Amino acid sequence: MVTPPLARPILVALSSEAQSLRLIHAGCRLARDRSAPWIGVYVDTEGRRGTEDAEQVQVWMQEAQRLGAEVQTVEAPTLAQGLADLTRRTRAQALVMGRSRDRWPWARLGHSTADELQRRGLDTEIVILDDRTAPLEKDIPGIRLSAMVGTFLVLAVCTGLAWLVPREGNLSLVLPVYLLGVTLIAHRWGSAFGILASALSVLLYNFLLETPRFRLAAYHWPNLLFFLLMLLAAQLMIGLLRRLRDQAKEVRRRELHTASLYLLGRALARNLGPDDVAATAAEHIRRVFKARAWLLFPEGAGWITRPADLDVATLPAPDFLLPRLVLGEQVGDPLEPVPVGDSLCLSLTGTDQSEGVLRILPGAGEPLHPRTWELLKAFAVQIALALERLRWLEEARKAQLERATERMRSTLLGAIGHDLRTPLAAIHGAASSLLLPGDVHDATRRDLLTMIQEESDRLAHLLGNILDLTRLESGAIQVQKEWQPLEEVVGSALGRMERRQGVLPIRVDLPEALPLVPLDAVLIEQVLINLLTNAQRHAPGLDLDLRAWHEPGWVHLEVADRGPGIPAEFQDRVFDKFFRLPGSGEGGVGLGLAICRAIVQAHGGRIHAEGRPGGGSSFRFALPLDGTPPAPPEGAESIPHGGTR
Amino acid sequence: MNQPLILIIEDEEALRRFLIPTLSGQRYQVLSAATATEGLAMARSHNPDLVLLDLGLPDRDGMGVLKELRSWSRKPVVILSARNQERDKVRALDQGADDYLAKPFGAAELLARIRVALRHTLQTDVAEPLLRSGGLSIDLERREVSLDGRIVKLTALEYRLLEALVRRNGKVATHRQLLAEVWGPGGEGNTHYLRIYMAMLRKKLEADPTRPKHFITEPNVGYRLNLETPGD
Repeated sequence: MVTPPLARPILVALSSEAQSLRLIHAGCRLARDRSAPWIGVYVDTEGRRGTEDAEQVQVWMQEAQRLGAEVQTVEAPTLAQGLADLTRRTRAQALVMGRSRDRWPWARLGHSTADELQRRGLDTEIVILDDRTAPLEKDIPGIRLSAMVGTFLVLAVCTGLAWLVPREGNLSLVLPVYLLGVTLIAHRWGSAFGILASALSVLLYNFLLETPRFRLAAYHWPNLLFFLLMLLAAQLMIGLLRRLRDQAKEVRRRELHTASLYLLGRALARNLGPDDVAATAAEHIRRVFKARAWLLFPEGAGWITRPADLDVATLPAPDFLLPRLVLGEQVGDPLEPVPVGDSLCLSLTGTDQSEGVLRILPGAGEPLHPRTWELLKAFAVQIALALERLRWLEEARKAQLERATERMRSTLLGAIGHDLRTPLAAIHGAASSLLLPGDVHDATRRDLLTMIQEESDRLAHLLGNILDLTRLESGAIQVQKEWQPLEEVVGSALGRMERRQGVLPIRVDLPEALPLVPLDAVLIEQVLINLLTNAQRHAPGLDLDLRAWHEPGWVHLEVADRGPGIPAEFQDRVFDKFFRLPGSGEGGVGLGLAICRAIVQAHGGRIHAEGRPGGGSSFRFALPLDGTPPAPPEGAESIPHGGTR
Repeated sequence: MNQPLILIIEDEEALRRFLIPTLSGQRYQVLSAATATEGLAMARSHNPDLVLLDLGLPDRDGMGVLKELRSWSRKPVVILSARNQERDKVRALDQGADDYLAKPFGAAELLARIRVALRHTLQTDVAEPLLRSGGLSIDLERREVSLDGRIVKLTALEYRLLEALVRRNGKVATHRQLLAEVWGPGGEGNTHYLRIYMAMLRKKLEADPTRPKHFITEPNVGYRLNLETPGD
């Protein structure tokens, strides 16, 4: 069923245990080294596993598949049986397997699956990964002078203590002293020194402490027994101690990894933009790996780097780097970053696409230890997911905006459909009745013509509003602020209204000492006209008030009327597009105030409506006095001709 | 004297259909062109007394047409422009256009602008010595300004600004033009000086400075002095 394509495959025996991940990586690495296919295999020993285990196995199988393995599940009475069968069937060249964590030491003496496989005479290499130490770690301490000296010192102290013990029948008192010393040595300087110390202890005891003194008397059988016990006990204890120490180390390392991942994840979750993500990632990577980090985002033929303090010109082009990273991900070492120049690069791949590249520059003189790659990879995944989350948020926001625009468009069509048709119908009707044959009464003719003019004014006004709002919202209108007296824009707004409507009952209250205000006269004039028109509409014929005052940094304007006022629940909504107060009857389309808000906000100001004490409503807006006001002319006569810079 | 000849360069037919009878009804002679090329050719062959020029023409930029017209003719040009194009208006005015009308405009407004523009060509730069409007009277010969019979004291700069406006009575003056005329070359950047002096003039010469009758602001463009003249 498995036809060996080029080379004999490599089998990786998977279980539900966590070390399977390491087996997968080792298998993948081995397969790449030997250019051989590899198979992840799970031996199901007749339903002994629970569903939870089955799920976990499924996870490892998927991971193996992701890294290019073929996966198989074999049913067999024992693990060894299943593996042996499959190895024969596929003519596998190597079998990668782990050793179970909770096996007692004596189980290793000829009863492990590996031993059993060997007994079955398989023509295959068996690679066993010990779960106690990482496969890459080779901590063999050399013969060091300090250890040597230490060992002798400890033994000297032990001998000194033993010397104090009274002669005859002293073995039971001397033994623990040496046992302690040897254990200490083995724990501190390794098992080689432990064995050395054991041998030396026996000689010392025999030579110095046992009668006859200063003679080696190895023929005494209690001495031989002592020798044996000593050695065995020491070795056992050393083994246990080392194992404990390694496990504690591993637990500490994993705890550290988990904690740093947790911290990174939590910090990334708070980030609102790629800049923040990059800053957080760089900070955490610097802290954990003592290396500098950048995020690279492809932009055309170059990169955008964040943080931006990186010379982009030194980087290979995205067209070159990205495929290499993806390739490295697929065929290369699953943990190994791709070296680019003196830095390492990792592809930031989220769930569906590349989000960018993580570039790591290790600190001078200390390359990243391969043991940290696993964590680095996990960091990259976290960062990629954070970027992906941001991208999705942005996409969701865009989609929402589009929906809102769409809704606004349909509301617009609905609202203006009616408001455009009414004046058009009136104009059309009036014009056609003027064209009827026969005399039209002079007064009637005037009426009809006046109506045509008024209705077309309304149309022009409505269209103007729609255009203004669209352009304000799309940012097509640039606010051109110029410092000017408020009086001028108030004057031009009132002038424009009164030239059309005659003198209006508007009380104006502008203090003498108002400062110059930076504003766009055309736009603010429009705000004032819209607010005044709105007030006229809701308080027809009643007096209006237009006031201004200023505080440091701001100038305030208010248009207030004595109309029916705005119910409190609508005071914010009146500035919404197409919002009309219920029961307000004829009037605008509900764009005037929306335009006001857009203009005021474009000036960096704020606008709101509120009830007026004593009845009526008040619309207030504030404009910021930002920037430096221009120097005022110094007295009327002192302005030099032509030299007013 | 012959009735003045007005050339309309406007591509929209509806507008031409409104302009031609309106102007003919006022006894002006009217010519019309729908493209810039045609308009320029007509201007050369007929030498009209006034040109109504639309800035948005299909074949050429209106600004280019204006420049070419100005290269050989001093006759008034009134720009027809859409709303919200203050920048274009200012550019056209600074390029030598005499005035502008923002669409949509009414017949009365159109005729008033044309009258003012034509009057200015007839009495080139000779401002009338005595102007009266409402309670305001300005005597350019005696350099005396009075409001409701009381003499108003103006500073030298205020007077120069008033003079510059009076010379253009009824026509719009851009910020740049007024600054150059009153403060001399190099003063163009100080629009706020102009605004402050306008505020001072209004305070002294308007009955209610927040409802100016004479010193009209054209937002983001400039100012227009609006004094009744005996000719109107």
